[in-house]
Amino acid sequence: MAGEKEIWQRIGEGFIQEYYNQFDNTNRMQLGLLYSDEACLTWEGEGFRGRDAISNKLVSLPFKSITHILTGQDIQPTIDSCILIMVFGQLKADDDLPMAFHQVFMLKAAQNGSWACTNDVFRLGIHNIPV
Amino acid sequence: MVDQPLWEQIGSSFVQHYYQLFDSDRTQLGSIYTDTSCLTWEGQQFQGKNDIVEKLTSLPFSKIAHSITAQDHQPTPDCCILSMVVGQLKADNDPIMGFHQSFILKNVNDSWVCTNDMFRLAIHNFG
Repeated sequence: MAGEKEIWQRIGEGFIQEYYNQFDNTNRMQLGLLYSDEACLTWEGEGFRGRDAISNKLVSLPFKSITHILTGQDIQPTIDSCILIMVFGQLKADDDLPMAFHQVFMLKAAQNGSWACTNDVFRLGIHNIPV
Repeated sequence: MVDQPLWEQIGSSFVQHYYQLFDSDRTQLGSIYTDTSCLTWEGQQFQGKNDIVEKLTSLPFSKIAHSITAQDHQPTPDCCILSMVVGQLKADNDPIMGFHQSFILKNVNDSWVCTNDMFRLAIHNFG
């Protein structure tokens, strides 16, 4: 039925919106709350484990302003009732040139029914598209 | 030499195996998916081993080669493995293109299968 979305699609979209809104429009100090206690983040190949470590990394990223422009997002349910999300687009930090990025998230429901990010992998786009 | 964590070993082996199969004979890819696997290929959804293999074997190129630039692996709370791959590919005589692909791997009956797969061509310039 046109217009109806699966629940995992809506949850995924809600998370994406919240994540990038906080990332771009706040001091990022609340971002850690989107993650589970034992979450894993891999940021440009560097691994971080646990909400505190992840929060410290995200808060300490060395730019004053950042904007993400999302080109697309793919969302899937997983067999263990989690949600897998892959986002891609461009970002612009301070006066740097725009750069491509893609990011993968996995979400899991906590016992109280709220969804948290358990896995996050971020990479800048590093290959040119052909002219 | 520091030992790689188990999930990195499994993830790397899977990635190597996957692209080797993909580049040599895509009809063999059925062995890595299950009946409940999900594939999102350039935004299009496919579910189940049969539909997935049908999509992959019907991709319109004769020759394909993937070159992996970077791969990241993480353990997930349900003892699965999340793998993200960035690289380049060349199909037939087309120009080389960037791509990124994510997999979730699960241990089923002592072998690691792919339950979730998302593929996208890179569409933005770098820098």
